[in-house]
Amino acid sequence: MNAVAPTPPHLPTVVASTMPAMRAEPTQYLTFQLAGESFAIGILSIKEIIEYHALTEVPMMPSCVRGVINLRGAVVPVLDLPARFGRPSSEVTKRTCIVIVEIEAAGERQVIGVIVDAVNEVLDIDATDIEPPPNFGANIRADFIQGMGKVKGKFVILLNVHQVLSINDLQAAGAAVSKDVLSLN
Amino acid sequence: MNMDDALATFFAESRELLEQMETSLLGIGQENDTTETVGAIFRAAHTIKGSAGLFGLDDVVSFTHVVESVLDVVRDGRLAIDEPMVTLLLACGDHIGALLDALETNPGQRDESLIERGAPLTAQLRAYLGTGLVAADEPQAPFERMGGINPCEKDLWHISVRFGADVLRNGMDPLSFIRYLGTLGTVTGIVTLTDALPAAEAMDPESNYLGFQIAFRSQAEKAAIEGVFDFVLDDCTLNILPPNSRTGDYIELIRSMPEESARLGEMLVRCGSLTAKELAAALLVQEQRHPEIIPIGSILVEQGSVAAPVVAAALEKQKRVKENKAQESQSIRIDAEKLDQLINMIGELIIASAGANVIARKSRNIELQECHSTLSGLVERVRDSALQLRMVKIGATFNRFQRVVHDVSREIGKDIVLVVNGEDTELDKTVVEKIGDPLTHLVRNAMDHGIDSAELRAKRGKPAQGTVSLNAYHDSGSIVIEVSDDGGGLDREKILAKALERGLIEPGRVLTEAETCALIFEPGFSTAEQVTNLSGRGVGMDVVKRNIVALRGTVDIASQPGVGTTVTVRLPLTLAIINGFQVGVGKSVFVVPLDMVDECVEFTSDSGHDYTDLRGQVLPFIRLRELFEVPGAAGTRQNIVVVKHAGQKFGLVVDTLMGEAQTVIKPLSRMFSQVKGISGSSILGSGDVALILDVPALMEEAQFPVTHTPQLA
Repeated sequence: MNAVAPTPPHLPTVVASTMPAMRAEPTQYLTFQLAGESFAIGILSIKEIIEYHALTEVPMMPSCVRGVINLRGAVVPVLDLPARFGRPSSEVTKRTCIVIVEIEAAGERQVIGVIVDAVNEVLDIDATDIEPPPNFGANIRADFIQGMGKVKGKFVILLNVHQVLSINDLQAAGAAVSKDVLSLN
Repeated sequence: MNMDDALATFFAESRELLEQMETSLLGIGQENDTTETVGAIFRAAHTIKGSAGLFGLDDVVSFTHVVESVLDVVRDGRLAIDEPMVTLLLACGDHIGALLDALETNPGQRDESLIERGAPLTAQLRAYLGTGLVAADEPQAPFERMGGINPCEKDLWHISVRFGADVLRNGMDPLSFIRYLGTLGTVTGIVTLTDALPAAEAMDPESNYLGFQIAFRSQAEKAAIEGVFDFVLDDCTLNILPPNSRTGDYIELIRSMPEESARLGEMLVRCGSLTAKELAAALLVQEQRHPEIIPIGSILVEQGSVAAPVVAAALEKQKRVKENKAQESQSIRIDAEKLDQLINMIGELIIASAGANVIARKSRNIELQECHSTLSGLVERVRDSALQLRMVKIGATFNRFQRVVHDVSREIGKDIVLVVNGEDTELDKTVVEKIGDPLTHLVRNAMDHGIDSAELRAKRGKPAQGTVSLNAYHDSGSIVIEVSDDGGGLDREKILAKALERGLIEPGRVLTEAETCALIFEPGFSTAEQVTNLSGRGVGMDVVKRNIVALRGTVDIASQPGVGTTVTVRLPLTLAIINGFQVGVGKSVFVVPLDMVDECVEFTSDSGHDYTDLRGQVLPFIRLRELFEVPGAAGTRQNIVVVKHAGQKFGLVVDTLMGEAQTVIKPLSRMFSQVKGISGSSILGSGDVALILDVPALMEEAQFPVTHTPQLA
């Protein structure tokens, strides 16, 4: 997983409407299932994949933040992607895993986990096989999508992890929730 | 040869010396007998000069030399130290500090403008020296001989020095000593002793095997020459023979190094300290008297030589110097990073120990449990010691403010004295560093705004000298720092008026005393009519508050008009590892810092409102289940954990009480920073994560629910 280049992938945080052909493109993606749809994340951001086990919930956070887990002594927050996309969460099955992603934002390295229904394979998706994201219709925020990859005739949504896991976004969402809760007391 | 380490140590130690100088200078005004302090200041300057000389930092040496000369004159009692001189010496200390800073950032470069800034200071210093007093030798100019006197052996010293094996490892370069010697006089002859050098294969390049026999012409005193070798006195064997030494001395020198007696004689001859004839004569004398070795002392005494007492005196001095050094070096410098690593590892150790504890209890093996409890006890003690390592007394920070008060009171023309209490209170090192700036600001504010002018003070019947006091103490898991002044207090009317003007409050709103005082923390708030370069721009207090909140602390103000103001800063003492009390709410486990827990009581009859009767006192409480929206219904038997913070008690309603445990604090990701009430997370022995409750935040939220609208990024 972590084999390749030492430099982090330079992913644009705002999705360009034209094909971003200049960047050092990671061509390997990990595909996974979420509520029946296929998604993918570039493997350079992925640290590891672990089994789903008991989370510790953190109060007063938006529902997309399911809680935190103990990853070899470090406390790592875990996100529920469907909730992040504004969809209902899936049930936990025996194929459910947590994918640990490491991103660099504002000079800090953040390690965050995401719950996925099932993990599929690592695929090589060439740059030419990636289509720009649709402006609407994917039922997800447009800036979460980096592109649409064509795999065996079907489309796989390539996620822009920097946006999906953006700390600032989640922080603000957390602020909103906690203010609401506390003002009721 | 790596001089960088030695140089870094030099900079650090010189800064410490400059600080000591400053403290002594500031304190000198209050003392009756100043001899001790003046001596200390002189020694500090002298050491800086000497060390700078070893590294060839000529600019520092020449400037410090003039300072030292003036101090020498004061020390001799020929000049009295007075206010203007103190101010001048303080300025000189600053200049030396600036020179050192410049050298540290740009080694090897001369900053001309900086050096020029020192010129007026030097001129003022020389004015003190006057024309009648001769400054001691300028170390930069090569030493000139007084013409006319036959320069024979009149001032020819012989120095025999064998540097220890570790001298290179300790960062000292023998060559630099010899070079420095050259500034005190001329090295007329030198022989290197290489007899201790092993064969090439056995040689360790980091060890020193060399010694030197040096013939040295100088008019300096023996103490000065010895002073050159101050840094390696422990490591080397040093013998200095004054000029006109009898040959007997040389005999003693030879005798004291038995393993090379013959060769030593030759070397002395080669150096020119002895002539071959003298040497032969001396040895002959000895041989003639007795075939066995005669104690040198007797020969010397018979010859009427003064060398014995001289040498004895020198040995005494060396011994005393060594004792002093031993006393001073009771502390060690450690890299802060190493301490951090140590504390991290101890954190892991505690987690592992907790895990083992859980298993030991499950196994129901008595011996294992006993053994494990011993282990836990030891781990706890190791943890406490390790945390203590990072603790630093706040006294050093407080004493820095003496200088600030001294300078500022001069600047604004008020007579203010700083009183300091609780200097022995200890804090974590990082907290001490970060609290310096906010405290400086508070002290300056107290002086500028707080202390009223002399006329006002006279009218109000206060003593002419204003007092700013700093106080520090521990209180239930926090450290409290108070900055108070006996000035005019906060003017409520003025603050309200200004707040109305700026639209911070609506007209007609009635604020309590505390809320009024809290207004001054708003950004941009200031009631000063004029902006001085000290304060009044309204930038300070909110920065202070932000810095303190960043350290997870709180700041409050209390004030009495006409009497004074007190700013109280509370900071948590906690670091990475704390004693925690685990409680359960539903399926979740939370940890309450143990030093805030007062007691636990059963939660009886839920009457609907949020307070209960605790032995006659009203105890408000927070229902954690509701606050944290824990799913599930509350159990039938709930408990209240009574916590105490800032003198106030309140309760937390929880389901189960699970007991004490050592807790390693793991920081939560930044996305949780907005969650009020949770200050961190911790890993339990079972491997689960527990959230650590932020008691002060809970209290604040319960009392003052936040009403302003949230800002979405």
